[in-house]
Amino acid sequence: MTRVQPRPRGRELGLLVIVGLTLLAGSLALGATERFHLAQLEEQPGPFELLGPAEPTQLLIFVGCLFAAHLALVLSGRRTDQILLPTVGLLGGIGLLLMERLPQDLAGGLGGLAQTQLVWLVLCVAVLTTLAVAVRNDGWLRRYKYTWAAGGVVLLLLVFLFGREVNGARLSLAIGPISGQPTELLKVILVVFLAGYLSENRPLLVEESTRLGPLRLPPLPYLAPMVAMWAIALGIVIVQRDLGAALLFFLVFLLLLYVSTARFSFVALGLAAFALGGVVLYAIFGHVRDRIDIWLDPWADPLGGGYQVIQALHAFARGGLIGTGLGNGLPTIGGQPPIPALHTDFPFAALGEELGLVGILGILGLYLVLIARGFRIALAAQDEFRAILAAGLSLVISVQAFIIAGGNLKLIPLTGITLPFISYGGSSLLANAVIVGLLIAFSERKDEPLPAVRPPGRLRQLVSRGSA
Amino acid sequence: MDPAVLAIWVLRLLFLAFLYLFLWTVVRALLRDLRFAARLPVTELGRLVVVAVPSGDPAVGSAFRLDAVTTIGRDVNSSIVLEDDFVSAAHASLTYRGRAWYVEDLGSTNGTFVNGVRVDELSPVAFGDELQVGQVRLRLERART
Repeated sequence: MTRVQPRPRGRELGLLVIVGLTLLAGSLALGATERFHLAQLEEQPGPFELLGPAEPTQLLIFVGCLFAAHLALVLSGRRTDQILLPTVGLLGGIGLLLMERLPQDLAGGLGGLAQTQLVWLVLCVAVLTTLAVAVRNDGWLRRYKYTWAAGGVVLLLLVFLFGREVNGARLSLAIGPISGQPTELLKVILVVFLAGYLSENRPLLVEESTRLGPLRLPPLPYLAPMVAMWAIALGIVIVQRDLGAALLFFLVFLLLLYVSTARFSFVALGLAAFALGGVVLYAIFGHVRDRIDIWLDPWADPLGGGYQVIQALHAFARGGLIGTGLGNGLPTIGGQPPIPALHTDFPFAALGEELGLVGILGILGLYLVLIARGFRIALAAQDEFRAILAAGLSLVISVQAFIIAGGNLKLIPLTGITLPFISYGGSSLLANAVIVGLLIAFSERKDEPLPAVRPPGRLRQLVSRGSA
Repeated sequence: MDPAVLAIWVLRLLFLAFLYLFLWTVVRALLRDLRFAARLPVTELGRLVVVAVPSGDPAVGSAFRLDAVTTIGRDVNSSIVLEDDFVSAAHASLTYRGRAWYVEDLGSTNGTFVNGVRVDELSPVAFGDELQVGQVRLRLERART
């Protein structure tokens, strides 16, 4: 057992201080707005009675957790990434502010929406830190890739058999008192499996042996997993009625295929298959058709199917450039916000209203930071498996953020998946914490032994002997 | 303007300002990291790390940088010289062709193995694969960036 020496992480500490200040400013703004609204009912308040953060204990607990995580990483003494933790912390903190601002009876069994979210966030930071400190070896991921894949399929089957149906989508699985969304876990398993498969078969996939018109294809047997993935994605749509997860899985699969082989022909083929599948599903399944029709024209049914999307668009419009301010947007109708499922599916619209274009661009910037770091870690990885794994893990988070943000903005059809680290919900937070924890663990830079000095070969020995 | 409204405005802008301060700091750190990486010489396309060697030379854990064409053998003119009795003078060659590494046995006496399987013709090698040349075992790894 080697002794562990603490290693200072200055960059992380500095960034965490900025995170703390940002959240404090946000909390003060929210608190002042709330107090202003309360006081306005009676008389004009002075500015000094307004000062004070909203929910100071929740803020303190969350920021304290981030610093505790920082301390644990310092004590572990590993040379790992210092940017991911503060970025995730800021995203989670913004999510917490949003939950504090929404009506507390929307969801959550532990004394309100924000309090439940806080519990999950603390757990999320704990999981992230544990993985970042403890995971040193990737053999357990690499070796059992087919076992992981089988586990994923079993999970999918369990959802099919015992899943509860919510809003027409069969997403959540309840085992006793614990319920969760297995697709969140499934996305991690998918990336692990793909990284194992692609890293093992990459040389064979790169080889060309089949030609289909202008497209060069890999040897046909190696296309089988691609077809299987396509089938699984379609299966999720049909069985679970979960368009978001299907889109996420398939896009991540195609992107990883491109990342590992640098072949555009695979992507073209995959997109063609996806388009074909999409057309068939549109023709057969009602829930797919509904989503697409709403996307094309939400105003056809403004009070029914198109209601959420129209309200989200109005929210973005009200937000304008810098937003209405935290706590100031989204007039509640009868104690409820105008958009159903605001805390899970539409946090991006809510933030768009209260923080404006400037705010949501900043939040998208945070997701860009996550993917930039993930790809940097992938580039520095020592072998294929870790490289593809790191690229895949960061792609999962960013593609998910894109799908739901695009859905909120009516850029693509709306699908019900969560905005990573911001949306309310334990499964999503924990799965994303696992992802970032693994990314941090695998970003470790080891002091590698320098190449050995080559002993003089026989020729050089002869030459030096001759000159002596 | 009402001072209360003004105070709320200031706090709102402060929040956004801090958000962008965070982003600016991170992006600066990312750029510095990239510039640092760009300054390092990246001439290597991959590396061969010594996994096991009976004679203890080259040392286990040391790495050879690979060129696009790398020859392995006991001959002093090989790119990688292995002093092992079971290695032929010109034993094997590693070539980087387009997108992947390939290994070819150059008619050695004792053969070249990829992950324990003997290769007779040009065959692809993935990063992480293990080559055996004579009694020396080497692992192909990605170049460090």
